[in-house]
Order: sequence, then C-alpha cells, then structure tokens
Amino acid sequence: MVLKDILSKEKKAAFMLGNEAIVRGALEADVKVVAFYPGAPTSEVLDTFSDALSNFDYQMEITTNEKVALEVCAGAAFAGVRSLTAMKSVGTNVASDTLFVLGYTGVKGGLVIVMADDPHAHSSQSEQDGRFFGPNAYIPMLEPSSPQEAKDMVKKAFEISERHRVPVIIRTVTRVNHQSGIVQIGELNRGEFKKVKWKELNEEYTTLGEVARRKKLKMLERTAKLAEEFDQSEFNFTKQADSDVGIVTSSVSYLHVLEALRMLKLQNKVNLLKLGTTYPLPKNTIKNFIKNLKKVVVVEELSPYLEKELCGIAKEANPDLAIFGKKTGDFSEAWEYNPNVAAKGIASALGLEYTVTEAMVEEAKKFKETIPARYPTFCAGCPHRGTFVALNQALKIQVAKGQEHYFSNDIGCYSMWIYPPISRGDSSLCMGASVGVANGLSHVIEERAVAVVGDSTFFHAAIPALVNAVHNGNKFTMLILDNSVTAMTGQQYNPSTEFTAGGRQGKKISIEGICKAIGVEFVEVVDSYDVKGNVEVFRKALDYDGLAVVVCRRECALYGDRNKRRRGEKIVPFYVDKDVCKRPYVCLRTFYCPAYELDEDRQPRISPELCDGCSVCSRLCPIQSVKRTEVKA
Amino acid sequence: MSLNIFICGVGGQGLVLLTTVIGNACAKSGIKVVTGEMYGLSQRSGAVSVHLRIGKDAFSPLIPYGEADILLSLEAIETLRYLEYLKKDGIVLMNKRIMHPPIETSKLITEKDSKYVTVEDIVYKLKEWTQNIAVVDALTLAKESGNARTENTVFLGCLSALDAFKVKEKDIRESISEAVPKKTIEQNLKAFDLGKQSAHGSLCTLVPCRPLP
Ligand SMILES: Cc1ncc(C[n+]2csc(CCOP(=O)(O)OP(=O)(O)O)c2C)c(N)n1
Ligand code: SF4
Ligand code: SF4
Repeated sequence: MVLKDILSKEKKAAFMLGNEAIVRGALEADVKVVAFYPGAPTSEVLDTFSDALSNFDYQMEITTNEKVALEVCAGAAFAGVRSLTAMKSVGTNVASDTLFVLGYTGVKGGLVIVMADDPHAHSSQSEQDGRFFGPNAYIPMLEPSSPQEAKDMVKKAFEISERHRVPVIIRTVTRVNHQSGIVQIGELNRGEFKKVKWKELNEEYTTLGEVARRKKLKMLERTAKLAEEFDQSEFNFTKQADSDVGIVTSSVSYLHVLEALRMLKLQNKVNLLKLGTTYPLPKNTIKNFIKNLKKVVVVEELSPYLEKELCGIAKEANPDLAIFGKKTGDFSEAWEYNPNVAAKGIASALGLEYTVTEAMVEEAKKFKETIPARYPTFCAGCPHRGTFVALNQALKIQVAKGQEHYFSNDIGCYSMWIYPPISRGDSSLCMGASVGVANGLSHVIEERAVAVVGDSTFFHAAIPALVNAVHNGNKFTMLILDNSVTAMTGQQYNPSTEFTAGGRQGKKISIEGICKAIGVEFVEVVDSYDVKGNVEVFRKALDYDGLAVVVCRRECALYGDRNKRRRGEKIVPFYVDKDVCKRPYVCLRTFYCPAYELDEDRQPRISPELCDGCSVCSRLCPIQSVKRTEVKA
Repeated sequence: MSLNIFICGVGGQGLVLLTTVIGNACAKSGIKVVTGEMYGLSQRSGAVSVHLRIGKDAFSPLIPYGEADILLSLEAIETLRYLEYLKKDGIVLMNKRIMHPPIETSKLITEKDSKYVTVEDIVYKLKEWTQNIAVVDALTLAKESGNARTENTVFLGCLSALDAFKVKEKDIRESISEAVPKKTIEQNLKAFDLGKQSAHGSLCTLVPCRPLP
C-alpha cells in the first residue's frame, strides 16, 4: 500500500495489507475516534492511522494499554460518535473487563473492535482462540478471510453496531492481518468532526445488580435478533455442488480450503459454506446447508468452535450427518493451517489419497539441518544488548560472592535474551508479569529475584505490581529498560516519548519520577551504552536490602536511526584495526553484535552496512582495536 | 496459471517494500495478486519471508509446498531454509551476500575447525533440488546505484526480465517511485535497471526472458 490509496477520494482497485484495508474501511465509515495499544499482528492499523492523521479530522490516541484504548472508544461511542480500536489476541484479555460490561451497557455510536488472534504464536506468548469472547460477552463477531472482506466487514460492522446498539468484534488471524491483496476501495465521504452535547442525548450506561439482570434479558433478545439478521448476511455464502459432502469453514481457512480443493481436484465437486458471522451463528443457514448432506468436514484453526456448534445444530437438522474435524482427528487444534494442512485433513476425512508433499517436506528438512539457525536478536546498536551484558557481568560477580538469582523476564525486545547464544531467563509470561511474579518469589526463594520490563510495559501493566512491592516491603531488583518507544511492535510512541499519534507533541512522563513518588528508595538512572559503569550500579542494586530500581536509558537503535536519517545525519560505522587486534574475541564472546563476522584470518570484521555506530563494542575491547571510521568533512 | 514466488531474507533487507512495489504494480496492471507476509518481530536480523502469488487461481496467502516457481533469497543461507516451497527444478534467484548469524560466528571462535557456510556450499547443496540457480551480486549492484540499501530493487529488476512476470515495466517504475522514500527514487530506478541487465547474463540463460529493448 501507499498512503495515497488510503487517502484516495475515488473508487479504485488498490493493493493493500489486511490491516490497511481495515483502516480504509473505517475511514469510509467515517470513524471519528480511534485508540490503540500496539501488538502484532495489528500494529499496522495503528501505524496507518497515525501516518494518515494529518489528512483527516479523527481523534487518535496511542493509549497506555488495550483496556484504556477500548474505554476511549467506548466513551466516544456512548456519546454517539463512531470509534474503532484494534488489539492482538492477548490484548483482549487486558481489555476484557470493559468488553464484558459493554455487552450489557451497549453503545450509541458504532464501536468496532478488531481482535487479531495469532495461531502458531508467531509473535505472541500463546495461541489463544479469542472467538470465545463473542458468545461469552454476547458481542457479535465477524470474521474476514481477506483484505477485501476485512474492509467490507469493518464498514458494515459500524452499521450493525449502531442498529443493535452493541460493539462489534472483527476477529482476524495473523494471516488475514498480514495478507495483502487487491481491494476495491469505495467512496470516502467524510463528515465534519463536531462535539456533542451529552445532556441532549438522554443516554445512560450503567450496569450493576438489578440493572445488570434487566440488561441481561435485553442482551439475549438482541442476540436472537442478530442471529436472524445474520441468516440474511452477505458474509455467509454457499457454493453448491452435486454432492452429499460439504465443507464448513471461516476466516483464512476458507482460502486454504479453496486451494486444497484445487490441489485435490475437488473444485466444484463438494458443497461449501463460508461463514463470516461467527457469533451469533446463522443457525438457519447452517441447517439448510447440512439438511441433505451425508458428510461435513469442518475446517477451522485452533479450537473446535464451529465444530461444536455444528454438532448441536445437526442434532436437530440432520442427526445422521457424519461430522469430521478435530474430534475425528482429521485436524489438529495446534498451530496454524496452510493449504497442505487443509488438503491433508479433507483427504483424510473423505478417505482420499494425499501424500505427495509430505515427502518433500521431509526432504527439505535435511537441507535446513545443514545451516545455522537465525534466531531473532537485538539489532546492531540496540541499547538492550549493553544493558544485558552489564547485568550478566554484575550477576557473575554476585554469584562469586554467593548471591544467586532468579531472572524474571517480560515481553518486549528484551525477551530475546532467552534465545541462543545467550540463553537466559527463568520465566517470561505476559506484559508486566515479571514484576508481579517477583513479588511472590521474594517471599519464597532464597535467591535474589531480578525483574526486567521495558518502558512501554512499565506503563502498560507493571505499575500496580511495583506499587504492591513498595506497599508490602518486597525485596527484589527491577530494571526498567527505557528506549523511548514500544520497540518490538514497530517503535510506536508511548508515554516515555515526547510525541504521540501522528508525530504530535505529547507529554513525556518520567519513569524515575513515578518510582520515587511511589516510594521506591533505591532509584538509579544509567545510560545503557555505558556497560562498564553499569556493572557497578547493577551490583549495588542486587546487594540492596530492599526494592531497587535501575532505569536504563537509551533510545532504540531503529528508532534512533530513523530519526537520524530524517535529520540527514550520517551513521558512522566502526571497524576493527587488523594490526591491533590480537583476537581475544571479547567483542564476539560477550557482545554478539550482528554486525560482526570473522574475516579470512579469523579476525573480527564489522560490516559497515550493518554497523550502527553505537561505539559499545569499541569500549569493551581490552586492546582498543575497534575504531570509528574517519569521515572526511 | 499463477506465478508463485517465495521471497526470503533477513530483517532490514526491505522484503516488505519489495512486496509492496510488486503488489502496487499488479494493481496498476489489473493483475490479481495475494501475499502472505511473515515479518518476524520488528528487529533487524531475524529471518523474514513473504509468499507472493500472482494470477487468477491463487487463493491462499500461503504457497502450497512444492508450488513456488521461484525462490528469491536476499540472503544466501536463507535459501536453504524454505526449499519445501520450491518446485523440483524451480528457479532459485539468490543473493551472493551472506549475513552470518551470531550463533554461527560464536561457533567459529569456540571450535577451531569450524568454518562459515559459503555461497559455493549453498549452490552445491541446492543442486540436489534444482539446476536452475542464478546468483546475483546484489550488494555490488546496489552500491553502484548509489545506495547500498537497494538490493531489494535489484532483485525486482531481475524478476522484471522474466517472461512469466507479466507486470508491465511502466507500472513497476511508477510503483517504485510511489513507494520508496523520495530522496532515493533515482537510485532505486537505477538499481532496477542494473538488476534487469544482470538477469540477462545469468537468470535468462535458465528461463525465458523478455528481450532487452
Ligand atoms: C497485552 C499485550 N499487548 C500487546 C502485546 C504486544 N507487545 C509485545 S512486546 C510489546 C511492548 C514492548 O515494549 P517495551 O516494553 O517498551 O519493550 P521494547 O520492545 O521497547 O524493548 C508489546 C506491546 C503483548 N504481548 N501483550
Ligand atoms: S528494535 Fe530497538 S529495542 Fe528492539 S532490538 Fe532493535 S534496537 Fe533493540
Ligand atoms: S559500533 Fe560495534 S556494537 Fe555498535 S553497532 Fe557497530 S559493530 Fe555493533
């Protein structure tokens, strides 16, 4: 996509990422308030809205977490203004407290929640199946399979939301968010942003006890109406064939099924039901589809959500129907699907031959075994590398003195510390949990707990656990890695940046200020690049008989580079002076900067294309063989 | 028939930009295209891959195993990581550049007789899968264009030489100009031309190409 297409006033065909199509759909629906906390695979929704902000009059916030984002949108929707938020699967857990009540209170303006699951845990800590949020919170849910559908469904979701006065979830998976394709974009008729007079709306959004009980009944009525309406929805469609076999599918699995049918030469030979409204399900549509069939294969990733519902519906509509899916062992609840998985499952359900590609995959494995793994690692110039090298040295000194440790990691670029060649970490759960867990550990283990969080994670979910630690007198060491941005998801702004959505001025919030205000007595601020100096600070923080916080500060290298390029500043690489280098390999052994490799003489060499010029390796070399390239003025 | 291209490389090499440029050009040429992109995390230096599928009968964003016509690798080692996608005797279009992962280098300093993987090793192994291997010195060509970061556009030039790549050159050029940073348009167009020319020396000896004008 190019921004031009997002802004385009005319109808046309454009190449768009699923996430960009979501943005375009919302803009066509005249969305007026958007709020997000970033998280793969939805981050480009945030990024695109941020890039486009100066061209429109919508209000945008990059919030501290998903719950706040949803509440920002709810506030707007209560006042009748259209709003949208997007979050990754696990972000919905954070927002769910609010999500569940919104089912009760309802909304006035359209409120659309994009919830992106991540089968295969490509960039998440779990393979959570968020479809259960729909029925659990009585919130309708649409599932697109492609960027085009994503755009159309988002637009339609605003209408549904307003007609039924309920938020609507657009449930995607990574392969929809990160799928690109040709999208027919529609007209862009934007209304003017106007403030609303709350008193004139005569609305209320409360729920508790008696009120909740009353609203629950209304919620059930609403859901029944939605189910009827969804029986007419264009998002559910069938492809009929002269056969007593059918396939039921939804989301990206639909596209894998189409491909699988081609591969199995079954195109137009089986019936197909593609479901787009997966809560509430269009019961009559499903009944009609299965009525005259003998066999149905259900193809869906993760849990047997559709399969279970289908079993229930079949009991009434066609009790003899044979249903194939996860219960029959033709498909797995684990990992994402692809055309081959779909083909294999369908073939096994229908008793067809399908073996060809397995041999190929086996053969390809042999080649993979001959090459080194490429684990994600800190970028060249990353401040976290410096922090961890210093921390490791400090821990080593402490161990020699008899102090041992529990390393409580968290979610961010610094999570990569668990990967080789420097694998380390006793636990790493979900955002902010490192600090919560350290509280518990401090009561029960003899070792010193060390918790690590990034700036974004600190604001998102770590502050309550830190307050808890101070209040209860829990003793551990906490490092807050302040690299100015939410780096792992694409360097978005957060309260530690002086900017906010669209590059507008935002108020930067002092992390050490918060820690001191809470009452943490040991608070130090260091430069992450000063590896040698930091060893001593970390050691003190480990020795401290109480809660010790060290804020390690230095801008994320990718974010810094982008700023430098924008300002026209050159990045000056370092090089290893071959005449000086005696190959002690301190640089490589302790630092593992990806700009390093060995040359023909097995001397370290720095790739000038990869070096970020951070200087840290040069400060570590015991014989000063790493030097900055001379630049001619 | 669809043209399936599996693209792989290392974070920071501009795979996503390359995909965007091709996709936009397809949109301009009125050709159906679908892609599945795997960015990995946002850091540089992890493995990155894109499934690119051009043509009417491609449905899934993921190429089925053994159906990629071309395996395009912006980094040589990565080529061997995804062979299950490539047709037997499909085309490998591979960068000469190797970026050794830190884990490989750390092995070298601990094990005296351990050696780096070389481009020759990789080509030798690849020959068990396919004979159609074109190696491109993209970094040199990129530098020649005035910007070392245009390796991705060099490869776009190579692709554009292919007969099977039906996207109009005019649309590709336009798409480059729209997608890359303004200051680098000239350099990217030059990298594109250099890539196209280089294909005629290597890639085009393996597969049918459009004649050079
Ligand atoms: C609840 C939740 N929301 C979003 C994410 C996605 N996510 C992964 S890491 C990360 C933030 C990392 O930022 P920070 O803590 O500042 O560390 P950095 O990556 O900058 O080092 C986010 C938002 C998540 N894993 N969980
Ligand atoms: S994105 Fe930034 S914080 Fe993350 S590894 Fe790269 S430099 Fe470090
Ligand atoms: S100066 Fe050294 S540590 Fe920093 S990026 Fe360059 S090679 Fe890596």
